[in-house]
Amino acid sequence: MKDKNNIKEIYEIYDYIIIGNSAAGLAAAESIRELDSSGKIVILTEENYKNYSKPLITYYLEGLVDLEGIHFKGKDFYRNNNIDLHINKKVISIEADRDFLICSNEDIYKFKKLLIASGGQPIIPGIKTSCTDIAGGNRDKKGKLLDSINNENYRDIEGIYTLTTLDDALEIKSFIEKNDIRKVSILGGGLIGLKSAEALLGMGMNISIIELADRILAATFDREASFIVENRIISRGSNIYKNSTIEEIFIKDGSISGYRLQDGREEECSLLIIAVGVRPVTGFIKNNSVKIRRGIVVDDYMRTSIKNIYAAGDVVEARDMLLDEKRNIAIWPLAVRQGSIAGINMAGGSEKYNGGFFMNSIEILGIPTISMGLAAIDEKNEKNTEVVKVFNPEEKRYKKVVIRNNRVVGLIMVGNIERAGIYAGLIKNEIDISSVKGNISREYFGIINLPADYKKHLVTGEGIEV
Amino acid sequence: MALKLNQSEFKIERDLSKCISCQVCVRQCSNDVHEYDRDSDVIYSDSSKCVGCHRCESLCPTDALKIKERESQFRINHNWTEEHLRNIYRQADSGGVLLTGMGCNKPYTIYWDRILFNASQVTNPSIDPLREPMEIKTFIGRKPDNLEFEMASGSNNNAAKLKTKLYPQMELSMPIIFSAMSYGSISLNACKSLAEAASESGTYCNTGEGGLHKDLYKYAGNTIVQVASGRYGVDVDYLNKGAAVEIKIGQGAKPGIGGHLPGEKVSRDISDTRMIPEGTDAISPAPHHDIYSIEDLAQLIYALKEATDWSKPVGVKVAAVHNIAPIASGIVRAGADFISIDGMRGGTGAAPQVIRDNVGIPIELAIASVDERLREEGIRHRASVIAAGSIRSSADVVKAIALGADAVYIGTAALVAMGCHLCQKCYTGKCNWGIATQDPYLTKRLNPEIGTRRLVNLLKGWSLEIKEMLGGVGINAIESLRGNREHLRGVGLTDREFKILGIKHAGEAW
Amino acid sequence: MKRIYIQEEYCIGCRLCEIYCQVKHSKSKKIIKTFKEEKSDIIPRLIVEEIGYNSFAIQCRHCQDAPCVEACISGAMQKNKNTGAVVCDENKCVGCWSCIMACPYGVIKRDISEKKVASKCDLCIDEEVPVCVKNCPNEALKFMEKDTDERNKVKVKNEG
Repeated sequence: MKDKNNIKEIYEIYDYIIIGNSAAGLAAAESIRELDSSGKIVILTEENYKNYSKPLITYYLEGLVDLEGIHFKGKDFYRNNNIDLHINKKVISIEADRDFLICSNEDIYKFKKLLIASGGQPIIPGIKTSCTDIAGGNRDKKGKLLDSINNENYRDIEGIYTLTTLDDALEIKSFIEKNDIRKVSILGGGLIGLKSAEALLGMGMNISIIELADRILAATFDREASFIVENRIISRGSNIYKNSTIEEIFIKDGSISGYRLQDGREEECSLLIIAVGVRPVTGFIKNNSVKIRRGIVVDDYMRTSIKNIYAAGDVVEARDMLLDEKRNIAIWPLAVRQGSIAGINMAGGSEKYNGGFFMNSIEILGIPTISMGLAAIDEKNEKNTEVVKVFNPEEKRYKKVVIRNNRVVGLIMVGNIERAGIYAGLIKNEIDISSVKGNISREYFGIINLPADYKKHLVTGEGIEV
Repeated sequence: MALKLNQSEFKIERDLSKCISCQVCVRQCSNDVHEYDRDSDVIYSDSSKCVGCHRCESLCPTDALKIKERESQFRINHNWTEEHLRNIYRQADSGGVLLTGMGCNKPYTIYWDRILFNASQVTNPSIDPLREPMEIKTFIGRKPDNLEFEMASGSNNNAAKLKTKLYPQMELSMPIIFSAMSYGSISLNACKSLAEAASESGTYCNTGEGGLHKDLYKYAGNTIVQVASGRYGVDVDYLNKGAAVEIKIGQGAKPGIGGHLPGEKVSRDISDTRMIPEGTDAISPAPHHDIYSIEDLAQLIYALKEATDWSKPVGVKVAAVHNIAPIASGIVRAGADFISIDGMRGGTGAAPQVIRDNVGIPIELAIASVDERLREEGIRHRASVIAAGSIRSSADVVKAIALGADAVYIGTAALVAMGCHLCQKCYTGKCNWGIATQDPYLTKRLNPEIGTRRLVNLLKGWSLEIKEMLGGVGINAIESLRGNREHLRGVGLTDREFKILGIKHAGEAW
Repeated sequence: MKRIYIQEEYCIGCRLCEIYCQVKHSKSKKIIKTFKEEKSDIIPRLIVEEIGYNSFAIQCRHCQDAPCVEACISGAMQKNKNTGAVVCDENKCVGCWSCIMACPYGVIKRDISEKKVASKCDLCIDEEVPVCVKNCPNEALKFMEKDTDERNKVKVKNEG
């Protein structure tokens, strides 16, 4: 029933509403429940599933995890914590001043506290398309004419996918099985592209990676690290096209049949995964109701510019402790921590976010790698910065430590990732390592090499005196 | 390369069906006997370096190692024994004095093993120490010539008050004291264990000639501080901190000679404690260079008493030598409150082998003759007598007291309790048990928590056994045993030995 | 909650803790059989670090706000509410190594002997005392409660 203002009179009221059913959203819900045992909590998700771990979808594709195992919280999580889960609810607008939000099916929710944890969505570059047969014409599988792909229409071409949701993984998996695919092309040599590559190589596929920069994982690896990984991929018969991108996609019978690169080379292709990047999902927030740059800007308590509205996870720009500015760092551990902090603060607590920094772990064809902080930088560009490298390409090993003002700010480890977390601790706690700088890049750098007072803290559990 | 005339003393048997190549033996041996071969995943052992300390055997998790005495390779010769041959080989190699550690291991007569203790049967009922009070408390110090009392004025119940002023005493809850072992000859962890165990058990330990380490100040009330010929660590604070002062004239393992701690072992810590410059050799001269006569000794005794305000017992430690009886008499007359006599079996960190094995007399005979002599001269009460030199069990303690000692010192027994296996290589400083070494890698191995616990257990066990033996003979206070030769009988001794010991033959009645 | 602590000054670097940890996590649980047959497959869950004569054994601290639990993408790493131990469920673990990346003590290891899983101390929860503590010959490892708050809050020195 609608009144003159087109707002239904019937709506659901909750103490806490969380948009997003992934890492940040669930961490927040758990934190809220720990502090507030009676408040009503609902999680709204546009997807059709109970919680699942987005990072696990490539493992699912590879067959290492099944549909049961892809849930990272137990199946009784919602029931045990008395949390409502409403699936298939896509939020299309938030009325911040009246504490409402509206979904695509016209459902209305009223909140006391709102958390936006809507995550990220894949970026689709506009690529020209052309047909390869006269009969079919430049048409998608539904028969519609098109001349380039974009965010809305890329799914209309058979064989073009992104890989960011469980649905994507399910469809790609069945596509591969149905069409007996052996070769896959991946546009984008970044994290998602490489994670997809990891899974596909594990399935025995032959892959081609097309990367715009001069190396894969350009944002997180330096030249040496990329060199080792690239060689490994190539040695298994797969291709990497660097300094390149797809100029044109060829379509036949509504399916992708191949593409042409910037330098003119052409490749046949029946399965293309687009992985050039993700951006925060903020489209549903209109009217500048909440301050957004690339993502939703939050303070150290995960609050947005609007009172009672919080945000956490891949959708936010929060403080990067190494660059000392607000930035979108879309990684799982930070999403969990931000969600948890947001939840605590929403439930009346006062927990500060001490800033985060990038970190990533990925294993390609048996070479484990870890990268954290400002790993890709080189000395020449920065003040007060030293870089220590131990490069061993024959043994496929590399270790690099970036030090700024006598504190570790970046790390790359390839081949041997033992005890990498120690550096994460050094970065996070801003430990002055000037006394042990000589040892910092040693193969077996351990706690015993750390500065005496930090080592004592770690070993005996007593805090450092201020 | 010179011909190697010295073969290994020990044989290492490794049961390969049990050895898991965990390499604990490799890591724990300070003599680098075991070596791991990565290619074959097997551990090889070089027996020539083994000293027989059993560290590897004790730590092996699968009990795969056995250390055995190597079968003799020489033709049997009761005169030219293997030991004599080896010693000459070694001396021909080095040209130096042959050193050794711990106490004399030669088969001289051990009188403890020929003395038997009594028990009550019909005439004098036994006492059960678990049911009735049994006093083994002991006081070390000079006892008064006689006691005078005065009646308390104005009271009805005839209460008497002691008029005689008593001399300062050390109060021991059992007649056992930890012997003098210096910091320097043993590790700080070992010293800590001894000091803490002494405090906990109500007895004392002794600093030896190494001074008192600052970490041990809190135990000073249970520590006898020693003034040795090198006067290490001796200042007025040191003297006043301790519970008693002991002037060391000699020790049983090396009577008549001094001691030597090489400069390499004089670390920062040892330098601070001994009050000598770091890295210099610490040489203790043979005599005290201010004691050349018994009168000089008397002077030092009285000087020390003055310095400590006459508040604590001042005693003298001597080695048991041939004329120990008149020597003891002279010392008591010189004013000592107690006299410690160290028999020839006493232990040491380093001593020349010839002196350790050939100089001095057994403590049993020394105690007996000293006690006899002092009683004859009517001065037995003026000083307590402490017996030292290989007290190995509570039975030895009881026999020592029956022969005339007031208390005993235990040195070797204490170290054995802490893990010592008597390999006799203390002088190398590579003690694998963390006892006779200053190497920080090795001293870690003696955890004072464990050391203290084991020593306290040892003292507790011996105390209970002493009480059992006393109870068994119908005595309920150790006072009644002291010098009570009637409760001892001997077997396998000559007439002369019986006479010196002052005991009867087993089978003889009163 | 009782945890394992090390007294550095009494660790003698014998590594018997590693040996017994391996036995505990072996199939046979018998020391000789484990090492004769399974040796290369079993990873000890604690790390003995050694320089010169300093050594100590370090293992998972079972932190209150464990960074490894936060980083785990599969929900395999969980803090057990009853025992307090942080344990990796090897069935759920996919071997992404995010926990290795996050642990500031560096006490999680890569186990690639069979399936790829993260391997770390599990506090020997079915034993009265963890086997490393029980078998340390010098009692350097202690299993006890401490009052300190386990919230890894490090106060950094001002321009130290």
